[in-house]
Amino acid sequence: MIFSSLIFLYLFLPLCLTSYAAVKQTKIRNVILVIFSLVFYAWGEPTRIVFLLLSTVVNYLCGLGIGKYRDRIGSKIILGTGLVFNLGMLGVFKYSGFIMENINALFSASLPVPQIAQLVGISFYTFQVLSYIVDCYWEKVEPQKNLLHFALYVSLFPQLIAGPIVRYSTIAEEIENRTVTLRDVSEGFSRFIIGLSKKVILADNLFLIVEDFFGEGGVSHQTVAGTWYAVIMYSLYIYFDFSGYSDMAIGLGRMFGFHFDENFRHPFLCKDITEFWQRWHISLGSFFRDYLLPLPVFGIRNKYLSLAVVWLCTGIWHGASWNYVLWGVYYGAFIVLETCIGKKKMRKIPLWIRHIYNKIVIIIGFGIFYFEDGGELLTFLVNLTPFNKNGFYSFVEGMSACNNIFLIAAAVLFTFPLLDQCRKLADRSSGARVALSLCGTVACAGLLILSSILLVDATTNAFLYYRF
Amino acid sequence: MSQKKAKQEKPALNEKEQQLRALQEKNLMKVNVIGLSLVFAAATCFMWFGKRPTHSSEENRDLAKMPKFSIASYLEGTFTSEFSAFFNDTVPMRSTFKGVISDFRGNLGIAYDDGVELVGDIPTLEEPEPTEPPTTVPPTQPPTQDATGETTTEPPTTEPPTTEPPEEDINGEIANNILIVKDRGIMLFGGGKAKGEAYAGILNQYHAVLGDDVNIYSLVAPTACSYYLPKKYADLSASEPEHIDHINTFFEGVTPVDAYSKLLEHKDEAIYSRTDHHWAPLGAYYAAEAFAETAGVPFAPLSDYETVVKEGYVGTLYGYTQKAVLKNNPEDFIYYVPQNQYTTTYYDIDMTRERQASLMLNLDNLAPSSWYLVFMGGDERITHITTDCKNGRKLMIIKDSYGNALVPCLTSSFEEIWVADMRYFEPGMIGFIQEKGVTDVLFAMNTYSAMGGNASKLESIMY
Repeated sequence: MIFSSLIFLYLFLPLCLTSYAAVKQTKIRNVILVIFSLVFYAWGEPTRIVFLLLSTVVNYLCGLGIGKYRDRIGSKIILGTGLVFNLGMLGVFKYSGFIMENINALFSASLPVPQIAQLVGISFYTFQVLSYIVDCYWEKVEPQKNLLHFALYVSLFPQLIAGPIVRYSTIAEEIENRTVTLRDVSEGFSRFIIGLSKKVILADNLFLIVEDFFGEGGVSHQTVAGTWYAVIMYSLYIYFDFSGYSDMAIGLGRMFGFHFDENFRHPFLCKDITEFWQRWHISLGSFFRDYLLPLPVFGIRNKYLSLAVVWLCTGIWHGASWNYVLWGVYYGAFIVLETCIGKKKMRKIPLWIRHIYNKIVIIIGFGIFYFEDGGELLTFLVNLTPFNKNGFYSFVEGMSACNNIFLIAAAVLFTFPLLDQCRKLADRSSGARVALSLCGTVACAGLLILSSILLVDATTNAFLYYRF
Repeated sequence: MSQKKAKQEKPALNEKEQQLRALQEKNLMKVNVIGLSLVFAAATCFMWFGKRPTHSSEENRDLAKMPKFSIASYLEGTFTSEFSAFFNDTVPMRSTFKGVISDFRGNLGIAYDDGVELVGDIPTLEEPEPTEPPTTVPPTQPPTQDATGETTTEPPTTEPPTTEPPEEDINGEIANNILIVKDRGIMLFGGGKAKGEAYAGILNQYHAVLGDDVNIYSLVAPTACSYYLPKKYADLSASEPEHIDHINTFFEGVTPVDAYSKLLEHKDEAIYSRTDHHWAPLGAYYAAEAFAETAGVPFAPLSDYETVVKEGYVGTLYGYTQKAVLKNNPEDFIYYVPQNQYTTTYYDIDMTRERQASLMLNLDNLAPSSWYLVFMGGDERITHITTDCKNGRKLMIIKDSYGNALVPCLTSSFEEIWVADMRYFEPGMIGFIQEKGVTDVLFAMNTYSAMGGNASKLESIMY
C-alpha cells in the first residue's frame, strides 16, 4: 500500500486514526499501530510479511543477546551474526540476481540466476535494524526487552517502506511513553497533506513530462535542449517524489506522537556537492557517516578510502544495477575532489560559479540515476553535449515547456523554503500570524481535495523510493 | 522612577504577550485540526457511502468489480490488488472528477502556438530500410516479420459497449503521440515500411490462393494527420501517402484503391472527426466512392441517403488525452443511412447464432463517445447484407474499425456484402470466400493497421 492512493487515504488511514484516537493508553495504542502496520505491509506482501517478522524477531534477540553478553566475546559473535543475517537478507532479496548475472558475464558462466522479487522496504527496515544492533553494541541504546515495542519500531508504517531511516534512539522514548499534543496533530496533518500534494500534484505531473522525452528509448531522439530539459524535470520530479514521501511519513509520525528527524532540507539550495548530501536523504547519509565511515578499510584508516567505500555503498544501496554504482562513485569523486580542495578554498570560489557547478553535477547525476540501461545512459550523456546528432533545439521541448509552464514554475518555486519564509514574515505581527494560519488551513484543505481528485486518475504512481 | 517601573513591567508584559500568543496559537491549531478533520471526514464518508459507478461511458468500459475474498486469492495477493483497483476505479462521481483532472492538466501551462499541444511521448520516426523487393510469397510461408523496433502504433478498436477493452491496452496503443491543434486531436503516424511490405505480402498470398477469379482490393485509409497536420509540425509524423504508395508497389494481382487522393479533393469538408481517432462517415463515403470507381460498380450519390445529425459528439481522443479542449468543443456526428432495399444478418465470429437486425445501430441509449458504433454495432461479429443491387457481384470486406463506415456506402454497389473484422474471425477466410461465392475481396484498414500488428492477423485467419 502506498500513501498516495485512495485506499490508503480513505480506508486505511481513517480506520487507523479513529482506532488510535479511541484509546488513550500507550500500550494499547502500540498494539493498534503494530496491527495496522502489519496490515499495511501485508497489503502488498501478503505472504512475504514473514520475512519482516523474521527480521524483527532475529534482531530483537540480537539486541537482547548483545545486552546480556556486554563486554564479552559473546556480544561480538551476536553482533556478527546479526550483521550477517541482515546483510544476507539484503543480499538474497535485493542483489542475488545482480550478483549472479555479473558472475555469469565475468566468467562466461551460465549459473542459474535466481528470480527473487525484492521485498518491499527491505533496504529501509534492514538499515534500521542494523543501526539498532550496532547501537546496542556500542551501548548508545539499551536493548529493547519488549518484543511488541521492538516490532513497533521495525514495522511502524509511516516509515516502513520508504523511509526515512529512523534510528531506534530517535523514537525509543516515544515508543514507551508519548503524548500526542494538539501541535503534533495540527502540524502533522498539514505536513502530511503538503507531502501528498508534492507527490500527486507536482511529482506525478513532472514525471509525465519525463516519460514523454525519455520513455521507451526516447532519449536517443532528443536534442541537446530536449535532453537537458527532460533531465531537469526528472531532477525536480525525484525531489518532490521522495521529499513528498518523507513529509508524509514525518507528518503521519507526528499525528501518532512520533518525532522523526528531517530527511530533506531544500537540497537544491546547496552551495557544493558535500552540502547537497547534507540536505538530501539525510537519514541515509548520516547512516553511512555514523556506521560505515569510521570503519577501517582493509585494516587501514584512511579518509579517502573510507569515502570511496561509503559512496560505493550509497550507490549500490539504491539498486542492483551498475548505473547506481556509477552514480555513487560519481558523487564520491566530487566529494573527494571538494575534500581535496578544502572548505576554505571552496568558499573563495564565487557563489554563482559554485551554484552552476553543483546544479550541473546534480542534474547529470540524476540522469545517471534514471538510465539503468548502459546504452541509453551513454546516449543520454552524449546527447547532453554538442556531439548530439539530433541538433540543439526542436520546438517539441519549447512546446512541452509552454504546456507545463505553471507546473514547472511551481516546482522550481517550491524547491525554496517558501513556507519558512512566510512563517518568519508572519511572525512579526499577530494579525499576519492569524491570516497565515487560516490561509494555511484553507490551502491544506484545498490541496487535500485536489490531490484526492487527481488520485482518481492514478494508475501506477508508486513512489520511486518504494522499490529501494 | 517611572522608567524603572516601565523596565520592571516589560518582562511582565512579554509574559502576558507570550500567554496571549500561546492561546492564539492554540486556537489557530484547533481551527486547523477541526477544519482539516472535517474535510477529511467528509471526503471519507463520500468515498464510503457515495454511489459507486459500474461503467464508464467516456472510456467505453465496465469499471473494476469488487473481488470475491478467498484465502487463496489473499495469499496470492490478487485480492488486495483487485480490491485496490476496485476502490480506485469506482470512485463516486468518477466521471466528474475525470473532467476536473482534465481541466487541471489543461491549465498546467499555456498553449505553445495556435493552441498546439502534444500529448504523450515525443514521436520517434524510425524508418527502417525496406526489406527485399517483391517476391511472391508462397501461401504457407509466414510474412516477413520486422524486428527493428518500428514505432507504428495501432489505433484502438471500437468495441460494442458490452465488451470491456482494458484501459491499459487503449493507453498502450494510442495515448501517446497525439497532437492537439486547437480543438482537434491528431494521431501522429510513426511509419513502418517493413510491416507494410509484410501486409502486401499477405494480400499477395490471398490472391495467389484465390486466383484471378476473385478480385482483390486494398484500401489503406489515411488518418487525419495526412490532411490536418499543420506544415510546421509535419516532421512529427511520417508520410501516410508515401507509405501507402510503398505498399502498393509490392502488390501482385492486388488492386490498390487510392482513397488518399479522393479524400484530398474533399479536404475542406468534415471528412475526419476532430475528437475521435476514426474518420467521419463522410470521409468513409468518399473512400467508398474511390473503391466503387476502382471496382467498376455503381455508387449511390449522397442525396440518396438519409442524413442523420447527432449533436454533442466527443469521441475517443478525449478519453485518451483527457484534454478539456476536446470535451468542451463537441462536434456533430453526421452519418448517412442508405435508403435502398437490403437486409442485414449478423453472426457470431464463429458463424453461429444467426439473427437479423438493422445495419445501423440505434444511438439513442449510447454515450456520445461510442457513436462510431452506429455501423453494425462494432467489430465483434460477422455481417451479411443482401441488397436490391443485382449485378452478380459479391463483396467480402476484411477490415478494422475504419472499414465499418464503408459498409453502408456500398449497399447499392454489390448484390451481397460480407463483413468480417480480421481480429475477430474464426472460420478460415479462404474457405469462407470460396464457399460464399465471393467475387470481390476488399481489405480495408487504416495505415496504423496495415503498417502495424493487425496485418499479421490476416495471415492467421486464412485457413
